[in-house]
Amino acid sequence: MKKDNLKQFYKDFPSNPDARVKALKSILEKEGLIDQKALDEILDTYQNKVGPLNGAKIVAKAWANKKFKEDLINNTDQVLKDMDLNGRQGEHVVVVENTETVHNLIVCTLCSCYPWPLLGLPPSWYKSDAYRSRAVREPRAVLSDFNVKLPISKKVKVWDSTSEIRYLVLPQQPPSSKGLSENELVSWVTRDSMIGTGFPKPPIGE
Amino acid sequence: MSKAHDMGGRLDSRRIDIASSDVKFKADWEKEVFAITLALGFSSLWNLDRSRYARESIEPNDYLQFGYFEKWLAGLINLLGENGIIKVGTESEDNFKKSSFRVLEAKNVKKLLHMGGPTKRDSTTEKNYNLGETVSVRANNSNTKVEKGHTRLPDYVKGRTGKVIAYHGSHVFPDANAHFLGESPEALYSIEFKSQDLWGKCEHIEDTVVVDLWESYLEKFK
Repeated sequence: MKKDNLKQFYKDFPSNPDARVKALKSILEKEGLIDQKALDEILDTYQNKVGPLNGAKIVAKAWANKKFKEDLINNTDQVLKDMDLNGRQGEHVVVVENTETVHNLIVCTLCSCYPWPLLGLPPSWYKSDAYRSRAVREPRAVLSDFNVKLPISKKVKVWDSTSEIRYLVLPQQPPSSKGLSENELVSWVTRDSMIGTGFPKPPIGE
Repeated sequence: MSKAHDMGGRLDSRRIDIASSDVKFKADWEKEVFAITLALGFSSLWNLDRSRYARESIEPNDYLQFGYFEKWLAGLINLLGENGIIKVGTESEDNFKKSSFRVLEAKNVKKLLHMGGPTKRDSTTEKNYNLGETVSVRANNSNTKVEKGHTRLPDYVKGRTGKVIAYHGSHVFPDANAHFLGESPEALYSIEFKSQDLWGKCEHIEDTVVVDLWESYLEKFK
């Protein structure tokens, strides 16, 4: 059997993370291996450009358009590509639909895989040990931390993102939003409703 | 005993503190770690599976104590160390060829992030299981090629029985790719397990857990 001797180089760096990054960055800058403008561009992308609004648009469109919903579920990667919503950590996507009898919940127990192009970067609770440990064993208890209570008639289906498939929950459309336009529906779709830890709700002020 | 990062089903009585943890970054240094890690990921000195392995391989006590981006930072330093970019102590590698290092330029960021790194491969690989079939998961979830190597087979499903609910084609096999043993694509399936079968006691008899598993993680149900 082969061995892999990856050594613990980090131990020789300052233990305070702020100082540790600074020490690392100064080495990389001295060697000319990073370009600050590229780093700024990466941060700008994930702080300002890519976020849950992308996922919300898809969900609203699926609610408003039955044909689109079918395409989205059956031919997801092509649909996302056509909408320019594919990309890093969303190369292969599966959309799972909540119904009267099934409630879907997404987790990654091994790290923190999350559909970046559709939801942006994950909130820190998604990456927490508690969420990663508990979501597969006691999803209903986890949901109650989010004030989500499910009727006994619904089964919970937890999706553990162990491969490069990323999952997006298609929540049920609230009855009170029926008849609204696709544009109006976008603001009903919450980030948590697309992870499975929440429901869509009326936009604040309505 | 499962590795520190393999957390699924571990008993944990902590509530999920939503109010105080609904942020992407808790400090500016986390933003730096995130951006540097992504940028250097395009250097092609390593792959995504290798970087996951590097994070998982940090000392277990550190893994459990570190925040999310502290894990990223330690993993990144180890990757840079094994590539001879960082030199400390007597363990240093002397294998860095700067001329072959691709520095990520700002003008390429958008294109590269958009491209991502698809793992589905066209190659036809062995496919022994069909939709709806009951399958067993290997009883041992250790990497079969590398001692204490990387795997995406969680401890909590090893030796368990579930049902094939989706087939995703052939995907790069992390257990090989993380150790530069080639992409070795394998058929990838979604397997649905009854919660009751995983945990004995469960919250609701109908509840299930779906896990994506590669061909060689599975065995015929007997």
